[in-house]
Amino acid sequence: MRAGYVFQLAVTLLAAAFLFVPTVQSVLAGLTANYFLGLRSGLTLQWIGVVWGLYADSIFLSLGIALACWAVTLLIGVPAGYALARYPGRLARALDEFVALPLAIPGLALALALIQLYGGFRDFRMSWTFILVGHVLYTLPFMIRAVMAVLLAIDLKTLEEGAASLGAPPARRFIDIVVPNAMPGILAGSLTVVTLSIGEFNLTWMLHTPFLKTLPVGLADSYASMRLEIASAYTLIFFVMIVPLLLAMQWASARAQRIIQ
Amino acid sequence: MKYSLIALAFATVLATPAVSADNAICYNCPPEWADWASMLKALEQKAGIRMPHDNKNSGQTLSQLIAEKASPVADIAYYGVTTGIAAAKAGVVAPYKPKGFDEIPDGLKDPEGYWFAVHYGTLGLFVNVDALRGAPVPKCWADLSRPEYRGMVGYLDPASAFVGYVGAVAVNKAFGGNLDNFDPAIRYFKELAANRPIVPKQTSYARVVSGEIPILFDYDFNAYRAKYTENGRFEFVLPCEGTIKVPYVMSLVAGAPRAEVGKRALDFILSDEGQAIWTNAYLKPARPVPLPEKIANRFLPESEYARAGSVDYAAMAAVQQAFSERYLAEVK
Amino acid sequence: MSSRHFAALCLLPLAIFAIAFLALPIVRLMLASGEGEAGWGVYWQILQTPRYLSTMGQTLAVSLAVTATALFVSTTAGLFLTRNRFAGRSLLLAILTLPLAFPGVVVGFMIILLGGRQGLFNTILPGHVVFAYSTLGLFLGYLYFSIPRVLLTVMAAAEKIDPALEEAARTLGAPPHRVLFDVLLPALSPALVAAGAIAFATAMGAFGTAFTLATNIDVLPMVIYSEFTLFANMATAAALSVCLGLVTWAVLMVARNVSGAVVAAGG
Repeated sequence: MRAGYVFQLAVTLLAAAFLFVPTVQSVLAGLTANYFLGLRSGLTLQWIGVVWGLYADSIFLSLGIALACWAVTLLIGVPAGYALARYPGRLARALDEFVALPLAIPGLALALALIQLYGGFRDFRMSWTFILVGHVLYTLPFMIRAVMAVLLAIDLKTLEEGAASLGAPPARRFIDIVVPNAMPGILAGSLTVVTLSIGEFNLTWMLHTPFLKTLPVGLADSYASMRLEIASAYTLIFFVMIVPLLLAMQWASARAQRIIQ
Repeated sequence: MKYSLIALAFATVLATPAVSADNAICYNCPPEWADWASMLKALEQKAGIRMPHDNKNSGQTLSQLIAEKASPVADIAYYGVTTGIAAAKAGVVAPYKPKGFDEIPDGLKDPEGYWFAVHYGTLGLFVNVDALRGAPVPKCWADLSRPEYRGMVGYLDPASAFVGYVGAVAVNKAFGGNLDNFDPAIRYFKELAANRPIVPKQTSYARVVSGEIPILFDYDFNAYRAKYTENGRFEFVLPCEGTIKVPYVMSLVAGAPRAEVGKRALDFILSDEGQAIWTNAYLKPARPVPLPEKIANRFLPESEYARAGSVDYAAMAAVQQAFSERYLAEVK
Repeated sequence: MSSRHFAALCLLPLAIFAIAFLALPIVRLMLASGEGEAGWGVYWQILQTPRYLSTMGQTLAVSLAVTATALFVSTTAGLFLTRNRFAGRSLLLAILTLPLAFPGVVVGFMIILLGGRQGLFNTILPGHVVFAYSTLGLFLGYLYFSIPRVLLTVMAAAEKIDPALEEAARTLGAPPHRVLFDVLLPALSPALVAAGAIAFATAMGAFGTAFTLATNIDVLPMVIYSEFTLFANMATAAALSVCLGLVTWAVLMVARNVSGAVVAAGG
């Protein structure tokens, strides 16, 4: 038993170290004056300043697209999640599968498909909404499934029939019964959508134009072509943005999970 | 509800940088290559043109132009000469002769203006001496397969980057091949593959400077810039077996959304002021603008440059695709 | 309006979006694959080109290896964290699940920091230990983003296992490894299959990591990108994308039917 415990602990710690150590390295490198010389060269915020000068628009663009993505997935995903949970069946399964295709098809391929079909509409092609479409494609399944998971766990049918027998029309039932009950799922889904949108790369890489670099695209840029300190400082900014979101996402998902049980 | 409003507000704020008359898009203007960073800054300050930097390589640029042919996104493009020739053939660029076009030597421009050289350089080895950890600075292409350089050599992908292709042609010529026979090049890369090279797709100047890639197949201008402006010891080596020099060219994109701004940008780049930025960055200018003496003295002596020949660029362009496919099939 | 009509109305935005931006583009992509010089024969050509076949094989091999390793590591860690409470547990959990949203490029950068020329291992260990640009580096990169994904799903399922089952097995005298293999793993198997499928799909389609690492081992998404940048060879790039999509989707379908459950949110 002891041996088993020690083994499990060792694996867990090793995995955690593997994931954590380079992030610490990256944070340090972004704050070090000269990576080659190491910490001896002193800590500085200059690289963050350089990154801000080069890539500030990408940070704002990523934030803006994430918020827009959230709004769109709310509008499309919550009603859809309700409908699929309320009437589960073969059609619902098939639709759910189809919507989840962007998780299976490589982002590269989807982006090529979008460019093939819509590349000709120049205003659309060169606007941030083109990138938004890619992000919504990728994050929508998460919102829908989060909502569905919570709604499937409660007895939605009885609740709704109860309200219907009291005279509530479908739209009222949706606002007064469905949405409040789906809140944990909506919350978990929202955080997931925003987090994934900020980090989306595969689709955005093909869809972006030089004026529309998002944060991950800028990161790829800097890793390939910029100094290690700049790339690290940029990564540091990314961490600062994403870590609070991830923590909130986990908290919300745990809450939703407790409901589902 | 409140949050959707915030989102909408954000969205409208983002919608505002609608493309204005003084914005332009360049494909392949990497800030750490040929000091484009200074050129882009000069374009903004002196010519009032805002052009963001772009790290595509020549191959990616051409493909993007072809994919966007029906509805172009870029206004101007910068790439190697053979890519320019291919772009003209693919019909994605428009003829334009900026001021000073006539002063560019004949072999370095398309007579109708579909592409024209803006500067040229010589291929060799860009070496970070400190990162060699005591190994001697290599002198020849053949040295790179030696065990002391294991994992230290980098070259850009010959199938997509123009500088990668130039490396292949240079190596090929150095070992007795010609444009009809790439066997020496393929053999060379296969041998090199055993020595664990790194093969990036995009410009890796910063990786050499940081020591991540100690030896890179690159041009003299990038190496000189590192040698004289960066901290650390860097060298440019003209390999003993010989090499080639090639021009980089620019074009106006056919159907460019902001063609007038693109033309102004090209005019500036070819003007005396524009060319002076290149000469300051150790590039040989396309127009006969003299190099500042301090810069000229920093080049390797003429005796070294005697080993750099030139190639028939049109022929080089004609065989590029076949070589790329052969490289991908046999070396990768 | 009846409930059914309202539900249909709820599905309308989804339907419009899915048709306009998912169905039609996929159809267009499939058509694009047939528009090249070889027409529909491009698929036959792909099957006959050794480079594409070996790349598909390499991609499958890496994805399967990563999935198996991630399942092993995450199940061990997941079971451990679910059934043990100690100081620092939440911190460990946070560390293990944070990389969930890292784009592949960041993961590639992390691997370079660990195993590049100036990486941690090369600085600490004697000799020349640079693994970032080799197959090992790619494998570790994929593992980096797979562990969090699998862990979340496994933990969610592990928390639902009735402790009474384990208790019963132990009181009947089963040694720990029997408890593991006969009680815990079977109870976890739907979640393991679902998590493994997602990890596999993500690994198959991953692009950013390989792009940053510039490794010698080619994975299919990199080849698709190469084809696209090789004089915009759309037909081949599209055909390869369709192949990759089909293979990944098929694996997910099989996993879905085997596990039979809806994949939980956030995983």
